[in-house]
Order: sequence, then structure tokens, then C-alpha cells
Amino acid sequence: MATPDLYSELLKDFRFREGLKACINCGTCTAICPAAEFYRYDPRKIVDTVQRADNDEIEALLKSETIWYCGECMSCMTRCPRGNAPGKVIMALRNLSIKLGYFTESERGRQVYPLTESLNRNILKYGYCIYPDTFVFEEHPESGPVWKWHLEHKEASYARMGANYKGKGPGALRDIAPEDLSELKAIFDVSGGTERMELVEELSRKKAEEMGMSMEEYRKFTFEHCSDVHFNSEAE
Amino acid sequence: MKENVIIIGGGVAGLEAAKQLLMLGHRPIIVEQSDHLGGHVAQWHRLFPDMTPARELAARLIEDCREANIFLETTVQSINRLKDGYAVMLSNGVNILSRAVLIASGFKLFDATRKEEYGYGVYDHVITNKDLENWFSGADDVRIPKAPKAFGFVHCVGSRDVKAGNTQCSKVCCMTAIKQAMEVKEKFPDCQVYCFYMDLRLFGKKYEDFYLNAQREYGVHFIRGRVSEVSETIDGRVQVKAEDTLSGKPLKVQMDCLCLMAGMLCNSSAVSIADMIHVDVDTDGFLRSKDNIYSILESQRPGVFFAGACTGTKTVPETVAEARAAALSIHNYLSR
Amino acid sequence: MIYKGKQKIWSDYQKEIPDDHWYYARSCIRQNFFPASEKYFLKITRELLGKDICDNEHHTTCGGIAYHSDTIPQETAMSIVARQFALMTECGYENLVVSCITSFGNYVETIETWREYPELESKIRDILWQACRREFKVPKYVAHASDLIYKFRGQIAENAQYRLVNKDTGEPLRIVEHIGCHYAKMFPHKGMGGAEYPCVLSGMVESWGGQVIDYPERRHCCGYGFRQYHVKANRGYCVSNTHKKFESMEPFQPDAIITNCPGCPYFLDRWQYVIAEQTGKTYGRDGYGIPVLTYEELAGLVLGENPWDLGLQVHQVAVEPLLDKMGVEYDPSAKYLGLNKEDLLRPEMPQVLKCH
Repeated sequence: MATPDLYSELLKDFRFREGLKACINCGTCTAICPAAEFYRYDPRKIVDTVQRADNDEIEALLKSETIWYCGECMSCMTRCPRGNAPGKVIMALRNLSIKLGYFTESERGRQVYPLTESLNRNILKYGYCIYPDTFVFEEHPESGPVWKWHLEHKEASYARMGANYKGKGPGALRDIAPEDLSELKAIFDVSGGTERMELVEELSRKKAEEMGMSMEEYRKFTFEHCSDVHFNSEAE
Repeated sequence: MKENVIIIGGGVAGLEAAKQLLMLGHRPIIVEQSDHLGGHVAQWHRLFPDMTPARELAARLIEDCREANIFLETTVQSINRLKDGYAVMLSNGVNILSRAVLIASGFKLFDATRKEEYGYGVYDHVITNKDLENWFSGADDVRIPKAPKAFGFVHCVGSRDVKAGNTQCSKVCCMTAIKQAMEVKEKFPDCQVYCFYMDLRLFGKKYEDFYLNAQREYGVHFIRGRVSEVSETIDGRVQVKAEDTLSGKPLKVQMDCLCLMAGMLCNSSAVSIADMIHVDVDTDGFLRSKDNIYSILESQRPGVFFAGACTGTKTVPETVAEARAAALSIHNYLSR
Repeated sequence: MIYKGKQKIWSDYQKEIPDDHWYYARSCIRQNFFPASEKYFLKITRELLGKDICDNEHHTTCGGIAYHSDTIPQETAMSIVARQFALMTECGYENLVVSCITSFGNYVETIETWREYPELESKIRDILWQACRREFKVPKYVAHASDLIYKFRGQIAENAQYRLVNKDTGEPLRIVEHIGCHYAKMFPHKGMGGAEYPCVLSGMVESWGGQVIDYPERRHCCGYGFRQYHVKANRGYCVSNTHKKFESMEPFQPDAIITNCPGCPYFLDRWQYVIAEQTGKTYGRDGYGIPVLTYEELAGLVLGENPWDLGLQVHQVAVEPLLDKMGVEYDPSAKYLGLNKEDLLRPEMPQVLKCH
């Protein structure tokens, strides 16, 4: 397969068109980037690399850890004196990395699998990105003993707080009717969401095999494993 | 025969043009909206690169124009095109006929409060280049501490900035920042002085020497990175965030005072005059010349001339040279 | 700090908010962690202010968390948004009020992108028709729910049972306001007060008697970062950013933090617990943390609601120091009881962070 012209591929993404006008390399974005102090990450350099439109460089970026460090807070978008939005450029890069199957080449990229598994499955099953039934305390110890207690008494605690947990009719955490969920599924099918999930699943399965893991082992590993290559030592 | 020449604006450009027109035997009439002649320069302290006292220059220009007709605190109300010339109605009721009009309306400083993330007008120790000049000239300013240990300059405030609505380079601020940085260093020898810049645009005579001097003799620190955010600490200091782009590291530094180099915009009155006399505003927000190579002082209207910052940012010597050239062009036009 | 300077900027960013008739969109995170806040938003707007707010059971997530975790394509996110618009249109509403800040940003971004690329809007209309046989009108107005509480903050103040004032000293309480990033950082003109000095929360605080604290890292993100939180391996990012904010606000000794994004109060609350347990450091007085409240919770307290009806018992940082300062009457023994006073036991106490 011939390597696609990656810059042209990026240009198809509206977020890319919105996010990259012309970078002047002033560093305004990096100065306030929450990721730049913590990770080995410099949004300015990413935008500068992309605007050089060099296919090899962009391909390296799509396979790198770097593009997965951004938190999409969009603080960069407020400040750029040229009207760029590095955060949106990142979104386009991530999208293309997944589309082309490059995301399994990096540790942070492989996390697309557990993310898809949790968020998209929740959307399709419960109508919301997050739902109490799939919020496992062991995966969220930072939610604290109070939340452990809450989860142990979910029904009563949610009732105390006026939620309509798993109830009919409107309200917080209500049961979403099957016909509404099937509309969400149809949207996923028609808009490319389902295709995207299948692609992520297929490529992750391949990578899991390569790494000698079952899918559950792979999910758990990618969800939890963190090597120390990511960090900006000076942030410590 | 002495002929009227209306000069709109009594700053450096208007005064120098008036002086030359007097010498060429014409009758310049200066219309100035403020209460003083000499424009921004009359309120500046010293001028780069030789640290010329600005007020002396302004005083000399004013002195040389003694014989011109001068209307202060006066604006142009309307301009009517005549067969050969213009009828200009002033706010004081005076109506002047003139075959030639010189627009020398200059610039206005960018309103630094509009660059909200820098906190001018919000944080206690954020000032502008103009505030600092006033202070050099002896004005009190509570925002400038008695013994600062760290003093910062932010280049390109309201210049080269899509968000601020001005994409142009204001040209003089790099040099002004270096000049002011050295002056601060002279006042406070123990103070660390920082300049945050995107590019240093030091194009003029002796400018590079000036820069070298600031680095070598004065120890001014130059950091290549645009300031992204300013905030205030509990003890009232100014916290500045920028990236040192040459090392690729985000920086967070605290200053005792931060000076914003507010850029130059076309004076709003120039835009309304352009509208009255039917000359265009160019895509950079300044007035449009006949062409930008050979006829920068001429408008597309016969008899309407430009001098100085109304067509783009200028240094003082550039403005003086333009004013002389404009006077000569007007003289030739009237003598045709 | 020159207060007048901020007021001048605020006046540049006053958006007009329609007075009535809103279609409400709930939030993934708020209904999970602060369901009582959504309940009290409806109670305050409907019962106290007499507004017409439609709470339709058929709506869903906007997909914003998945969109910003990059697990769905932009077309999918926009089509989910389009379905929300369709439900709103079918219910006869033109004003959308949104519980979540990510959603607010998502709706605004969608509308703004369509404005620039009408071909994308047509494409999404086709997708929605094909998938759901629905059509929609773009909302005339999109507000965040905090915008409405801001708009009616004066009326809330008139009905206040308590004020944000220390009852012992008479001094205003010192409140940190934290604005969700997607409220105004992407589109400053869509936020009350703009991106740099938003007044949506500070306006509430001041109306209700408190004093707003401005600290150096005020504008910094709480540290959520979407995939940086939803993947366990990445959460160092979150806690380090939260830590940065707390270190920066600590010298100002805030009595409480108020937030308008549903994620921020959860993170600012829980990471205080983690920081305390891991480093021994606490940011409140005497080993307590700084209570972090949603604006609905704070409005509820001011209006005299029972703190346990507001769900303050599921905060990890104890809210009691704030309640005591305000003079709020509450029954400590009812904190962990169920709706019908049934005994639900008690959470374990953290090792370091002091809780009631």
C-alpha cells in the first residue's frame, strides 16, 4: 500500500482546518499547556512539525506517544495570536492515527482500546458516557472511601440525592428507553462510529496477539500500565 | 502668492511639513485635535538610538512653526470637494479653502486593557511603554515599585495578533523595549530585566549596536517566547507564563513590574477623515497610498497627501523625512 | 488587584440570556456524582423563579467525553448533538440550557463549525435523518445552566436564608471560583465575562455575600484531561495539575471553591484526598480540605436547603467547616442516612484528610 499523503488527509478534517492557520512558533500555547509541564510535550513543536507537511515527519508523529499527551482543555485556543488551536490539530492527528491504524504503535495510543470499551459501550448501553453500573471502585481508588460507601449503597444513596436511578421517566440516571438507545446505535452505524469501534477492536486484537495477551489482559494492561518514558523530569 | 495648505495633525509629521511649507512660501494651517503640539513625541522621554531628549525635538519643531496658523483642540467637521481643491469646515466654525490637504494624523497606541490576559488595568504592577516614559519624565506611578528586583518587558502587545485585531508589526517597540530596559537597569542596577519577544526586529541605523549593548553592558535577558498569561501573586507580584522556545521549556517567572509594549494603530480620526475626503483605508488598517513603493505620500485623490504614521508605523526620523518629502510634493503640486 | 478593571472587561462580555422557556440537557458526570445538583437546578428555576424548563426523558449524552477522548469521529459527535437539537425542536423549544460544560462547549463548537462549513451541517442532517428520521432547528440560544443561575442571582439573594459570610466574624467568606475550560476558552464571547475574567461564578459569590479570590493559577485546568483521567495509567497528569492549583491558592486561605463544570468539583475534591493521603498535605484548616461545591449546591445552601438533600455527604472533603462558618443548621447524625432515614452505615475515614 502506498503511503497516503498525510497532510491532505489531515486537511479533510474540519478541526484541522480550524486549528491550523499558520504557526509563528511563539510558544504561547506551550506556556500555559497543562500537559507541557508534566509530559515531554510541546504543542508548539507539534504544530510546527505538521505545518512543514513532511509526510515522514507526520507519520512518525501519528505513531508517537506525543500526540496522546494533550488533555484537550483548549487553553491554547484562547491565546494563540494567530488564531490557531493546537488542541484541535491534536484531535485531527489522533483521528487520523486511529483511522490509519497507527495508534497501536505507541503505549498511549493503545489506550484508545480501553477508552473505547468503556465510554462507547456506556453510551450505547446506558445513553451516557459514564454510568454507576460500570464505575468500578478498584479502577477509581481516587474516588475515595466516601464513593466506595456510596457505590455499596447505590440505590439508597442515589434516592437520597433525588436521582431517578434506573427509573422510568425523566431525571438523573434514569433508564434510557430501548428505542432511544437504538437511535444512538443507528447514529453510530450511519456516522462512522460503529466502523471506528470495529476498527479499534480489530487492530487492538492484532496487537494483543502480538503482545501475547488475551483481550481482557490487553484491556487491563493498556488501562493500567505506565512506563516512565512520558514524563518531563523537571516537572517532578 | 501664499497658498493655504491644510495640515491635519500637529505631531512630528505635521509640524515638520508646516515648517518646510513655510520655507517654500506657503501658508500652512495646522488642525490639531488635542491641546498640544508635538503629538506622542512631546510626551515621550528619550528617543533611540542616541537617547535624544524627545521634548527638545518637539520644542524645536514647534518653535520652527511659529508662523503657521494653528488651531488646537479643533477637529475637521466636513470636507467638500471643489473643482480645484477642498473646503474644510472645522469644529470651531472656521471654513478653509485649500488646494492641498496633508493628512498627518499619526497613530494611536493600542489599548492594552484589550489584551486581557496581560491584566493591564487589573493587576497592580502592570504598566505600558507610555506609562514608563511618563515615569522617566518624572511623573509619579504607584505601579512601579521603589526597588524592583525583576522587571519584565512584553513585546508585541496588540501587534502581530489576530485576536487583538492587529496583524501588523508596530516596528518601533522592539527598540523601545530595549531602550527602556536599559533605562530601567540604569535606575535600578540590581534589578534583573527581561524582554519577552517573538522576533527582534532591529532594522535601523545602529539598532544592532543598541541590542548588543543591552546584552553586554546592561545584562538584559532576552527570552524568545510570547507571554501567554499574567497573574498576580498574594504579595502583589506579577507572575508571567511564557515558553522559552529556544530551549523548549515552559517558564513561570515572577516580576515586580511588567511593562507592555503597546503597539501602534492608525488613529481613529484618520479613518473618519479618510471617509470625508474619500480616500481608502488599506487592509492593514492604515490609509491607502497611491502605491507602496514610489508614491507612498500620495493618495488616490488629487491634492490629498500623507505624511507619517497615518500610512503605517514609522520611526521619528522616517516621519521627519516623509514630512519633508510631502512638503515638496505639495509645493510641486501647487506650482504645477 | 484593581477591581474596576475587571468590571470594565465584564461589561464587554455580557451576553443576553433569554428569560424563560428552556430545554434542559443533563450531564454524564453531574448526574453520576452530583445528581442532587441537577435536581436543585430544576427546583430553583421552576419553583423559586417560576421558569418553564423542559426535562425530556428521551435525551442522552451529547457524546462530548467520548469526542474529547477521541473514541468517536466528529460526525458521530455532531450527529448525537443533532439528535438533542431535534428533541428540543420537537418539544417546541428554541433555547437550550446545558448542565455540563463539556456539552456546552460541544454544542457551541458544533454550531460555530456549521456556521463556517454549511456543507457539514447538511451532512449531519442527512445522517440524522437516515439514522433517526428526525429533523431539527439549531437552537436560537445555548446557555450553560450556571448562566441562568447567574442571571437570577439577585432573586436568589433576595430569598437567601444564609449568606456567604462568616457568622462569627461578620467577614465575607473567601471563595475561589473555578470555571470549566470549555465554558469560554474556546469561544470567549460565549462566556459571561469572557475567557480571562469570567464573572458567571464570581457574580453569584458576590451577590450572596462572599468575596472572590483571584490566585495565580486561577485559569489553569482542574486536570481532568479526558483520556488523562479515564485511563488509570494517565492520572498522574490529573493530580499534578490539581496540585498546582491548590499550591497556588493555598496562601489565600479560601473557605470554599465553587465550580460550574461537573467534572472539576469531583476532581478538585477527590485529588485533595489523594494528595493528603500520599503526601500528608491538606489545604484547609486543622487537617481538613477546602470544600468544593457546585454552583447549585452553593445556591441550595444559600436558600436554606438541607445539605444532605443537596448531596454534600458524597463529597470526600468534609463540607462541615463551610456549613459552620455560614451558620447553616444541619443534623450531623443524618449525614449518611437514606431517604427514609434508614441506616446506610458510614464510609471509612481517610488516614490523613480529616472528615466529620
